[in-house]
Amino acid sequence: MKPVLKTICVAGLLMASSIASAAELHYVRVMLSAPSAAVKWYGDHLGCEAVADQPRVTDCHGMRIEFVAGVTVGGSQGTGVNRIGLSVPDVEEKMLALEAVGVGGAGVRLQRFADGSLVREIPGLYNHGFIFDPWGTRIEFVDDPDHIGFHHVQLQSTDPEAAIRFYADVLGGKAGVYRDTLAGVRFGDVWLFVEKYPEVGRPAATDERAINHIAFAVEDIDTLVADMTARELNVREPAVPEHARTDARQGFVSGPDGVLIALVEPNWQGTQEEQFVGLVAEEDTTPYETPLTPWGEPDLQGMWSGNSSHGIPLEKPEELEGDELSAEQAASRRERGTLGSIWGYEREWRDTTLGYVKTAPSRQVAMIIDPPSGRMPPMTELGKERYAKLQELRYNRPLAGGPEDLSTWVRCITQGLPSMMMPRVYNNGLQISQSPGYVAIQKEMIHETRVIPTTPKPPLGENIKQWLGHSRGYWDGDTLVVEVQGFNGRAVFNGAGENLKLTERYRRVGETRLEYQFTIEDDTVWTAPWTGMFHFDLDNGQYELVEYACHEGNYGMTNILSAARAKEREGAQSGGEE
Amino acid sequence: MKKNPISWLCLVLIAGGCAATQPEVDPIPRAWDGNPNLNGVWQAMGTANWNLEDHGSYGGPTEYGVFTATPPGLGVVVEGEIPYQDWALEQRAQNFAARFAEDTEVKCFLPGIPRANYMPYPFHILQGDQKIMMVYGFAEANRTIHMDKETPEEAPIDSWMGRSHGRWEGDTLVVEAHGFNGQAWLDRAGNFASDTLKVEERFTPMGPDSIWYEARMEDPNVYTAPWTIALPLYRRLEPNAQVLEFKCVEYSEELLYGHLRRGAEQGGQ
Repeated sequence: MKPVLKTICVAGLLMASSIASAAELHYVRVMLSAPSAAVKWYGDHLGCEAVADQPRVTDCHGMRIEFVAGVTVGGSQGTGVNRIGLSVPDVEEKMLALEAVGVGGAGVRLQRFADGSLVREIPGLYNHGFIFDPWGTRIEFVDDPDHIGFHHVQLQSTDPEAAIRFYADVLGGKAGVYRDTLAGVRFGDVWLFVEKYPEVGRPAATDERAINHIAFAVEDIDTLVADMTARELNVREPAVPEHARTDARQGFVSGPDGVLIALVEPNWQGTQEEQFVGLVAEEDTTPYETPLTPWGEPDLQGMWSGNSSHGIPLEKPEELEGDELSAEQAASRRERGTLGSIWGYEREWRDTTLGYVKTAPSRQVAMIIDPPSGRMPPMTELGKERYAKLQELRYNRPLAGGPEDLSTWVRCITQGLPSMMMPRVYNNGLQISQSPGYVAIQKEMIHETRVIPTTPKPPLGENIKQWLGHSRGYWDGDTLVVEVQGFNGRAVFNGAGENLKLTERYRRVGETRLEYQFTIEDDTVWTAPWTGMFHFDLDNGQYELVEYACHEGNYGMTNILSAARAKEREGAQSGGEE
Repeated sequence: MKKNPISWLCLVLIAGGCAATQPEVDPIPRAWDGNPNLNGVWQAMGTANWNLEDHGSYGGPTEYGVFTATPPGLGVVVEGEIPYQDWALEQRAQNFAARFAEDTEVKCFLPGIPRANYMPYPFHILQGDQKIMMVYGFAEANRTIHMDKETPEEAPIDSWMGRSHGRWEGDTLVVEAHGFNGQAWLDRAGNFASDTLKVEERFTPMGPDSIWYEARMEDPNVYTAPWTIALPLYRRLEPNAQVLEFKCVEYSEELLYGHLRRGAEQGGQ
């Protein structure tokens, strides 16, 4: 179970407004896995105060933050509610104190600026610095001497002007410009700053993310709801939730940019029990038209990440029914996957740790989409033999006599195909570059790059076999189809080697989504071809490949081999077996 | 003269100017945006990868005969010699003596910049609208040249291949590269730089099938002054020219890990 930022309640002023239903920012709701740990963390590191008789609520310098136990699929960054902002007397002092806490366990994750510094001055505005709580809520510190305490909520919008109009006209905030620089809406002492969403596409919906929703208190909730309904907004009628502490009613409305907004009556005091929120922002179902490069080919260029697909098993687990997991199942599968694949790494080491990764975990049940069973077709005798050998090596690998006894991945030679495309626990970047007639595909781990011609080229000779085979591509409409043959057969994929024919299909299915299909044909190993699929997500704004110089820093080889020799010496001395 | 293409380029321009009645012939293929089109497979000739400076031939370990010998070659250092600081000249001599074990190429390590461009293997330039990629066969090396950053960004972390930002100056692709880890040798003769190296490269098309390549090296911790190499890159004209996989890791393993092999003398030491 992941944490959710629940509710922040600002004990601010009720704003006078042109409409009857002027609202007050009442609480921020954070979803997370451990509400009581969150109350402690916010107390220890942010100086927020526990609220009597409300063990899952903290009073954060004037703002009520309600923590709800629940499953989140990502942090606040990348949603319409990017972060919350606190004003402190001295940002640098605060950040240094938090740096001293460290990241271990439920520590403090600092977000440094590009030059490594923790604090940056924005002339005329304030100094600021950023951290994350252990469950993925982004927190900004500023120094605004006029208003120490809970300072702002930072929204990101594809259309900031429209968002500001919404919060001003519908909820009765006061539109303004903070210190002549930041546009936003004021609710009492607290600002909602609204900035342009910096990425391609739209912000993710806040539902299911760390900051789940923000809540406004309103005196006359019925009038406001009627007003919203007249504006054709997607409103859920107010009602007193189960286990509510008071008789205050709570309704919800989908705000701009996927921001879930709660409306509560002023005497709202939350609920006794954990409460899950089920209103999902409307999905954009418009069919996607792939843009063209300036020279007229479908444009797949960019920095893609396979993070959202990490954890999808190749084959459908037999106990699962249906084609899609629930968000909760997907999150717990991801948590198992990240914990299970690399042991001993702290959460911060894993790119796909829930709460940090920007994208939601895929709900796909299995990669295999054909056959529809989601499972590989039956293997031939040779296939079974090879598969068994791989399993034996995986679970019972003998001590390595030399480098060649270790896997080609451990040796930093290659993961092979299609293994190199598969999402892992980290370094899932996929950079696609194009020039007329060519596509280059580089996977971050272990910096292998495939240059694929998209116009007919003669095949390579029979005597040229490669680890990654020969890739030959063509455009089928907007889909890049790549056929790969000519494998040297030494990087075996589930038993397939030198006879493998791999066909890949790369297709953009949305502004920020790339569908990757791979069809495996090898009749010496399987009795029928089969196809898998998963997605990559565009992340041009932030992601960049790091140089995964694997072989150059492969201390693991030295350690594994010297440890093997040491074990053999020990065995020889004690007269035991190797 | 070999090292300076400028006089040659001027001649072309003058000839074009004189033939006023002829339609102007552009000797340089153009990309969609009017910039020179560098797409394709390229390779350096010559002996720069063996030794950047003027050198006669010299031998290596005799076990494999002539294979380990260095062919003679004209240097590509415009200034003639690399202006090393005294300590660095001494270091270069030590490197040279140990080159068959210590050159980063022997170990199949990423070759760095500029060396990747004059190794004796082809490399592929993919010129996109935001990035230019150079893909090398050796050690799976590659580099992304950011053409879409208004101001060069600091490298987030030191690396073998560094961080590259490019821009067009007329018909010349100018690339500023920095953020190196300083470990890659510049050739098999032990020439080297440190992690404060900054390289300014200039790719100037000389026609459809050749590029004049210059790299100005600046590293105040190793050299007494900046210096420049200059050499042509040639298009590989074979109809099926392509960069093949040269995953050299396994050929380096005995050198790197042989002493840890079962049965090796003093195994584990």
